Amino acid sequence: MAAIDPRPESDAERRARERYYSASQWTLIWWRFRRHRMAMAGAAVLATMAILGLFAEFFAPYGPTQRNATYLSGPPMVPMFCDHNGCSLRPFVHGTRTERDPVTLRSRSVPDPETRLHVQFLVEGPRTHLMGVIPIERRLFGLDEGRLHLWGTDSLGRDIFSRTLYATRTSLSIGVLGVLISFFLALSIGGAAGYFGGALDYSIQRLTEIIRVIPVIPLYMGLAAAMPREWSTTQVYFAMTLILGAVGWPTLARRIRSQLLSIRNEDYVVAARLAGAKPRRIIAQHMLPSFTSFIIVDLVISFPYMILAETALSFVGLGLRPPAVSWGVMLQDAQSIRAIEQAPWLFIPAVFVVVAVLAFTVIGDGLRDAADPYSDAR
Amino acid sequence: MARFFVERFLGMIATLFVVSIMVFIIMELPPGDYADRFAFRKFSGLGITVTEADIQAIRVELGLDRPAIERYWSWITNIVLRGDFGMAYAFETPVTRVIGDKGFLTLALLFFTLIITYLVAIPVGIYAAVRRGTAPDYGLTVFSYLGLALPNFMLALVLLYFANRYFDINIGGLFSPGMERAPWSLAKLWDLITHMWLPALVLAWSALAYQIQTVRATMLDELGKLSVTAARARGVPEGKLLVKYPARLAVNPVVSTMGFDVNRIFSELPIVAAVLGLTELGELLLRAYLDLDMNVAGAILLMLTTIIVVMNFLSDLLLAWLDPRIQLGG
Amino acid sequence: MDPILQVADLSISFRTEEGLITPIQGVGFEVGRGRTLGLVGESGSGKSVTTKALMRLLPGNARIDPASRIRYRAKSGEWIEVHTLRDGARALRRLRGGEIGMIFQEPMASFSPVYTVGNQMVESIRLHTPLNRREARALAIEMLVKVGLSNPGQRIDQYAHELSGGMRQRAMIALALAAGPALLIADEPTTALDVTIQAQVLDLMRDLQRDLGMSMIFITHDLGVIAQIAQDVAVMYLGTIVERGPVREVLKSPQHPYTRGLLRAIPSLDRLDKRLSPVPGDIPSPSERPAGCPFHTRCAEAIAGVCDRIPPAETVLGPDRSARCHLLAQPGRATA
Repeated sequence: MAAIDPRPESDAERRARERYYSASQWTLIWWRFRRHRMAMAGAAVLATMAILGLFAEFFAPYGPTQRNATYLSGPPMVPMFCDHNGCSLRPFVHGTRTERDPVTLRSRSVPDPETRLHVQFLVEGPRTHLMGVIPIERRLFGLDEGRLHLWGTDSLGRDIFSRTLYATRTSLSIGVLGVLISFFLALSIGGAAGYFGGALDYSIQRLTEIIRVIPVIPLYMGLAAAMPREWSTTQVYFAMTLILGAVGWPTLARRIRSQLLSIRNEDYVVAARLAGAKPRRIIAQHMLPSFTSFIIVDLVISFPYMILAETALSFVGLGLRPPAVSWGVMLQDAQSIRAIEQAPWLFIPAVFVVVAVLAFTVIGDGLRDAADPYSDAR
Repeated sequence: MARFFVERFLGMIATLFVVSIMVFIIMELPPGDYADRFAFRKFSGLGITVTEADIQAIRVELGLDRPAIERYWSWITNIVLRGDFGMAYAFETPVTRVIGDKGFLTLALLFFTLIITYLVAIPVGIYAAVRRGTAPDYGLTVFSYLGLALPNFMLALVLLYFANRYFDINIGGLFSPGMERAPWSLAKLWDLITHMWLPALVLAWSALAYQIQTVRATMLDELGKLSVTAARARGVPEGKLLVKYPARLAVNPVVSTMGFDVNRIFSELPIVAAVLGLTELGELLLRAYLDLDMNVAGAILLMLTTIIVVMNFLSDLLLAWLDPRIQLGG
Repeated sequence: MDPILQVADLSISFRTEEGLITPIQGVGFEVGRGRTLGLVGESGSGKSVTTKALMRLLPGNARIDPASRIRYRAKSGEWIEVHTLRDGARALRRLRGGEIGMIFQEPMASFSPVYTVGNQMVESIRLHTPLNRREARALAIEMLVKVGLSNPGQRIDQYAHELSGGMRQRAMIALALAAGPALLIADEPTTALDVTIQAQVLDLMRDLQRDLGMSMIFITHDLGVIAQIAQDVAVMYLGTIVERGPVREVLKSPQHPYTRGLLRAIPSLDRLDKRLSPVPGDIPSPSERPAGCPFHTRCAEAIAGVCDRIPPAETVLGPDRSARCHLLAQPGRATA
């Protein structure tokens, strides 16, 4: 008549069970997140992008506005190990020589298959500052002489690879700042609405509904158009983050409010209240943990929209302006059919945009599954 | 039902009112007004140097020195009572003339896009739910991720590139060259339709990805419900069962998010229109912003938002008609 | 007994992520024409799954063992071998609703919220009879009267959420019986009801049974309800029938330890100061089925070495009366 227990638990199993029960909420979420393969892949991709962007001065062989007058709209140079003259252990590219174009009679650079320029690692370059602070002199890779344009150049001779890395920094950071600003606004305005309730809550709710009715990008564009032409790059940068935050907060506020309401009505909160817990304790111990995990998911999901908005705005010329570099600014050069035909490598930043958005989306999905204790991880 | 209608209708009017105020604020944001530009254009042709006093005189003449609230009021009453949106900065032409028939073109594009979206999303979503876990279902999940990640304007760029590179056709534009300025005729209408399907597809792209998933998720939810088992237990044949019971309810979230779809389509419109060279409101809006012609920009923004609000209202009504539970809850 | 339904050797397996589970094993029972069979057991004993199998309403990952036999005698008199019908077969659709009807625990959930009660009733009627829309509607109204709904002409055009709880219950019964089935399966229809409503519904069902000559399978975990509504009872535990027979006999002299335990567990007004005596332990999950007799892990009279190794065969104790227990199988006694 004993309880059904097929076999006794081993020591290892017992220890594992104890570890599980004594782990904090965030550890648990991390463990569940780890099992989500796609989300981990997304996180890895995003981390790589972030590192590349943060330390762009090191990873990029050239500056974002550096021009190579001899290699305009040049195709990507792919380092190889072997060519018709044999193989080498060190990767190399073919050198260039100038020749006159028979049609336009202008001189241009063409690859010279007889010369080899070996790719050097940790080359010396002009002194610059990592993130504007730490002085460095070396770059990850480059050529002793001549220029290595991994992803080609644009019509002004600027290296696409380097520009993309700097653009990554700008686009990702604008996204982060935009999300933070909209979160701050949403929390304060939404929080005030929730706290004071009544007429304030009602009017703020109506206000957010109405803001959300206006189509987003035309609204962004309206605000961005108001930026005077004379503003400096930095001013425009910060104005853009403010604009992104200002338009993004209603959606976030709505989500925060609905989370708050649904958590407040959960049985465990009611139980805490009935047990006599003080409101402070109820909020801190019971409501905040589940609230924060859902809010983090909402924040992560907001990123793609911010990044896409900035890209779209800069793409049409209403966002960041040269000499600033972002993915959208770079894509401006890829607008016309002619550009696409002649220099399809100008598209490469678009790949970054898509990958970044996909990565954030997948991470958001993974986080959502991980944070929700009732979702089936299997 | 009547009370429901009146409630929603009044809500719509109130929303439109507040929206118009917001649009006006946006119109006022750029520094300065266009009195100086107007003055330069007016006087430079006559070879006279423009002075501050001249600019101020023009300001008074155009009524630009009046307080904002007064200007807002005259702007909005002109629109509502006389359909007069004011003058475009650039051309000294009424805004309505600048906009021309682009409003109709935009509406046509919108409906074409919506039709494509719903005609495809609903059956495909139902199919994916019924054939859950199979290869086509998995493919659709991938599609919906792509739909979110690849923004419409980028899709437009990609399509433009491939059409040009491999098929040697230029797929931009709403009309064949020359047809645009021609007077309306059946031929022009046909020309429009043959050109419109591609922009409509591009615009429908992300809406499709989203709605297919929504329909699929709702169908899966509904398929598990007791009412479906009960109907099966009464001998309703499987095909008829699917359409009459779960599918009918799976359509509900689609209808309720119709306004949201229109909102998103209009949001993507200016950029897609710029890429594909479409001559309608979205592209005009972009140009107006770049020129800082706020009368035109404000007018278009107001129009687009009004269409969205009206569509929200209509979809609310449609939803109430489809689902008898709605009217009781409100 | 003049049987309208004969079930023998019914075994049902499910393909799950944890492998193949066979929650129903070797179930056999009979339903007599015009009689009610009560199917009683704890939650998780497999009562719902068994009855769903009778109409082939199981989900896609379920498999009915080929040795199972489900024979149903149609209104026309011919025997239908339900286990041989293919999914989607016309005969199966005719069986559902036309020959066998089913009502559920939640009346609200069993109606579609976007169609009126009448719409769903007329649909059912027209699927199984050659009546036109007008005639079907008239028949539906008649049915609503039979289940005791006031204002049937109004109710027929209302939605399920517009009716009160008690009315919904009756409407659900009317919907299931609209096409005139001869056998009604009632899956715990009174479990969620309070006692007074429960009594009304049971009265209604008894009257309907008498007026329409209907047979019933009544699923419940409440032995008290069984005593009121059923003439025969089958006690289920972990997917097998451990005891069956006429209600009076089984309740008066239960032969299986589980049945005895259930009866002992019923709270009684005569023993107010005594502790309740539930059946000890919990029902195991179907994926961890005990070897031998499924009940041996909770049985005070289990015989070590026998009950935990050999599944008991069915011991016939009389006409339409049997139980599965090693305690009953004495050497020399014939087993079924």
